[in-house]
Parts: sequence; C-alpha cells; structure tokens
Amino acid sequence: MRYLALSLMMVMMLPSFAAAGYQEDFAREFLSKTWAGERIEENACIDCHSSDQMKPAFREITDEWKKSWHAKNNVFCQDCHGGDPKDPSLSMTHQRGFLGAPDARQVPEFCGKCHIGILKNYLESGHGKALRSTGKGPNCVVCHGSHNVQPANIEIINEQRCSKCHSYERAKVMKQALFLVEKKAGEITDGIKALRRAGIYTAEQERALFNTQAEFRTLFHTVDVSLVNERTDEFTRKLGAIERDIRGTFIELRSRKNFSAFLMALFSGMGVVIFLLSRPPNK
Amino acid sequence: MWERIKNWLEVRIGLDDLVRSQVTDYRVPKNINIFYTLGFVAAIGYLIQVLSGIMLLIHYVPHPDHAFKSVQDIMLKVPFGWLFRQMHVVGSNLMIAAIGLHMLTVFLMGNYKRPRELTWVGGALLLLVTIAFGFSGYLLPWTQLSYWATTVVTSIPTAVPVVGDVVARVLRGGDQVTGTTLSRFFAFHVSVLPPLFLILAGMHVFLIKRIGISATPFGLPAEEKRPWTEYHKKSHADGYPYYPRFFQMDMLMVMVYLALMFFLITVAPNLFFPEEATVPADPFRTPPHVHPEWYLLAPYQMLRIIPNKFLGIIIQLALFLLFLLWPFFDTEKEKNIMKRPMLRVLFLFAFVLWVILMFWGGY
Repeated sequence: MRYLALSLMMVMMLPSFAAAGYQEDFAREFLSKTWAGERIEENACIDCHSSDQMKPAFREITDEWKKSWHAKNNVFCQDCHGGDPKDPSLSMTHQRGFLGAPDARQVPEFCGKCHIGILKNYLESGHGKALRSTGKGPNCVVCHGSHNVQPANIEIINEQRCSKCHSYERAKVMKQALFLVEKKAGEITDGIKALRRAGIYTAEQERALFNTQAEFRTLFHTVDVSLVNERTDEFTRKLGAIERDIRGTFIELRSRKNFSAFLMALFSGMGVVIFLLSRPPNK
Repeated sequence: MWERIKNWLEVRIGLDDLVRSQVTDYRVPKNINIFYTLGFVAAIGYLIQVLSGIMLLIHYVPHPDHAFKSVQDIMLKVPFGWLFRQMHVVGSNLMIAAIGLHMLTVFLMGNYKRPRELTWVGGALLLLVTIAFGFSGYLLPWTQLSYWATTVVTSIPTAVPVVGDVVARVLRGGDQVTGTTLSRFFAFHVSVLPPLFLILAGMHVFLIKRIGISATPFGLPAEEKRPWTEYHKKSHADGYPYYPRFFQMDMLMVMVYLALMFFLITVAPNLFFPEEATVPADPFRTPPHVHPEWYLLAPYQMLRIIPNKFLGIIIQLALFLLFLLWPFFDTEKEKNIMKRPMLRVLFLFAFVLWVILMFWGGY
C-alpha cells in the first residue's frame, strides 16, 4: 500500500519535467472555444488588410486602428466605411453599403454619423464654413488623425498644427479658455483612477465626467472663444460636483479603514485579555 | 426568576448534565497544543460566513443584469454593506486556510491513524465543500474576474473524453457561462452546500466525541497500539478538563482569527478585489490574465503544464483520492513523523511542489 502511495506521489513530479510552452495550449484550448464565451467573428476587412499581399501602406491601417480609441470601444471598419466584413467577396461593394475613403469635404459627415453634436457646431464654425466654401478648411482628421484616433486632449491645439492655416494667436486664446475646465477634468480622471485602484466601481463618476467633457468639447468645435468663456463656469460647477463625489468616497474609504482598524484592535485586545486570564493547568 | 427558568429548562433538557458531560468533565490530553483549536476556529469561521452571507443575501440579486450592480450597491450604498462583504470574502479565504492548516497539523501529528480514519475523510470532505463554497461564491458578483475564472474552471471537465462536455454543460446549464450558470451556482452556494457542510461537520464532531481526541505523538509515549477490533473511548482521564483551559485556547485563537481578518480588511482591502473584480462581466472580452483563487492555483497550474489535459485531470483525481483516503494507505503504526524519514521527505516534496505550483500559477 505504501509503495502505491509513494508511486502516486512521484507522479506529482511530472509537472516539473513539463515545459512551460504547454501553457499556451491551455489558453488556446480552454479560452478560445466558442463555448468559452469568446465569440471571434470573421472580419474580412482586417483579414485582407493584415495579409502580406496588401501594400505596406494599406497594411499599416489595421495596425494603427488596433491601437486606436475606436478599437478599444468596438468601433470597427464598417462603422465608418460601410461594407460587409462577414462576406469577403462582396464586402467592398455598393450593394453592401461600402463607402470607401471619403474626400476632404466628406470627412465631417463621415465622423458626424456618430459625433452628431460636434458636427453641428463644427459646420457652423469658421473651420466648417471654410471647408464647405473652399474645400481647404481643416476637417476632423487634420486634428484627430484618421485611423489611430486617440482620446482628444488640449495638446491637440498647438502652434505647429494651427499655424499651418492661420496665426497661432487666436488658437492660443482658445487654448487658454479651455485650460481651466480641461485641467479640472484631468484631475478628476486621476481621482477616478485612484478610486478604481482602491477597488471602487466608478462607472457613475466616469459617465458624469464623460458627458460633461463631451458637452464642453462639442462647444469648443464652434471655435467661438467668447461662447467658451461664457459657459466655463457652468462646466466648472458640473465638474466640481463630480470632484466632491470622489472626495466624499475617499473620506468614506478612510472612515472604513479606521473602523476596521478599531475592530482589529478590539479583537487583538480581547485576545490579550484571554491570554492573561488563562489559568495555569491544575497540578 | 432566573432560577425558575433554569429549573424549568433543567427538568426538560438536562442542561447541567449536558454542560458537565460536554464541557467541564470532558477531558483533553495533557500535551494538547494550540493547533488543536483550528477545528473550532474553522467552525467559528463558518458561523461568520453564515451571518455575513445572510446580510449579503438581503441585498444581492442573482441575475446577470443586476448581480454586479447589487454587489456594488452593497459596497457603496448599503450601510455597513462593505464590512459584511469584506468579512464574507476575507473570511472565505481565511476559513479555507484554517481548514487546510488543520488538516496539515493533523497529518504532521499522525492523528488520522486508526481508529480515526473516518474523522480524516470527513475533514477532507469538509475542505472540499469549503472550496466548493469559495468557487461557487466567486461567480456571484458577476465581474470580469469571476466570469472568466468560472469559464476556465468549468471548461476543465471538457478534456475528459465522452462525458466531459456533458459535465461542463451540467455545470454551466448550457454551452457558456450565462445567467443559468449564475442561478445554478447561487442555488448551490446558499441552499445545497450549507446543509451539506453541517451534516459533514456534525459527523466529524460526533466521531471526535465518540472516539476521543488523539494525543500528540510529541513529548509523550505514543497511544496504545493494540488492534482496534472493539470500541473503547479514549477519555484521557488524566487530562485537563475542556473548560476552562482548552476553551481559553479556543477563544484565544478565535480572537487571532478575527484580528487577522480585520487586519487584512484594514491594511489590504483590495487583496481579494483586483481591478478586474470591479469591472462587470463581459462575455465578449477575454481579460489577459485569467486565473482562479489562490487555493486552486496549484491544481490549475498543474493542468496548464501537463501536455495531455485528460492525463492532467486523471493525475489530479488520483492525488485527491490519495489525500482523501490517506489513512487507509498509511498503515504504519508509528505516529511520530520525526521517526519516519521517508514520510517526512515525501511530505516536504509535496509541500514545496504545491507552493511552487501555486506561485507559478499566479503568473
């Protein structure tokens, strides 16, 4: 019996001889089957554009998109360019709604399918009017890029970019008008990150921040400095409410820590009392 | 008034006699040590789980659309909800650690030996039920972490030919981890496992009371070695009464358990809540690192590194049976592990391997 037990224990040695490479097999086997919940859909756009037969410039498109904010938020090729990613033979036909790459004038409508509020403000702005009348005004991709789209921030407004078309002075005034709100939004983002690290679910604060920031940035696309200045207080108040909420949660976390520390001290103290009260054994 | 109530009870249930036979006159071996309290500590741990679990049950909604939100409400909106959840989560881990340590010390002191084979088997089954508690409770918050860890663990049976897919299907209630799985795990967690635990714990205590506590093999001559062919209780007539001496040791360790629990809640409140545990479950997005709780890491890692998954499962089952039925394999009369070099080496080997696999599995 003992030898049987011994030999079974020896079997435990097997893992030490096994190579770590099998871990990838495990992941493939247990995580990529459809019943494991991961539904990988065929995407003709990505498949073709990633293949070696594609021109390098076209291949880069998918690589750039994969790094983008759009990719992180499940915005795929067909959401902008139309077409059918499930059918490689007809994916780029007009019957399947394929739009292809837009020319400069079409870009605002292209992006405005989703960014509706921004499109309206942009079209009424000097930028939008210039584009429509001359075809040379800046469209969305001039500032935000096309495939590797990243979350917007105040640094998009810079001398190098703005002075391609006009003097930087006006843009600088706008950047200053944005600064206060954007700075506060940045601080709130850091606060939300810290809350998340502390194990707090922050969806409510994130949503509030996103809505306020989106509304403010929509306003910016009018390129109207006086309008931005006029409404800065309103946005600062909104952000202040989120900030107070975050601060309140941190205070709550501190009081939780104090309360559990009190309970720890209480039980430690009771342990010490019991230890001291323990009588020596009767002889 | 008090006397009258006492008499009324005494006549009907014989409380004095019960206290005398089970507490003041109940004797424990003279060389008993602090590790003998771990069973009692685990029982108190279970009580804490039940009480905190009831508080969570009042606010928890076992539905995929509401589970995550209800748990977050418990953490953020319900008064002291965070404390009950922390106690439940930290307590579940501490309880598994307490039972594991109890089994380990029983093993090292050879207290599983004849006639206590069934007491060991009961203890091992209690450990299994406690792990099942941990595993089934893990899914309930419906987070990315719990969803994908459950996906991985419920996928493991599929490596078994013929019946594997059926087993995985039964566990999940379908091809994937869905609301059905959540309902099943919830029902299992709150209505199947608690009575099962109580039945096993009752049997365990009954056997300890019937056979008597086993003395440690260290410091005193070993217990009698004649064959156990007829019942005779080990009453330790020369030992100490359970109350007050051993009761004080029990209570001291319970305080250590509670102090440790609140130490972890104070110093490392996120120890069992990594960032993935605050993100709602998303069946369409697999997180980069999926691994189960620390107590399942060693078997999980073993499965990952053995090339053939079926072989891996068979080895794990064999090892579990070996653990469960160990008293029947180890028929050597000597209890003292210090006098058994081979067993000592085997134990050290298995222990070190377990620790290595556990840390390895965490990466």
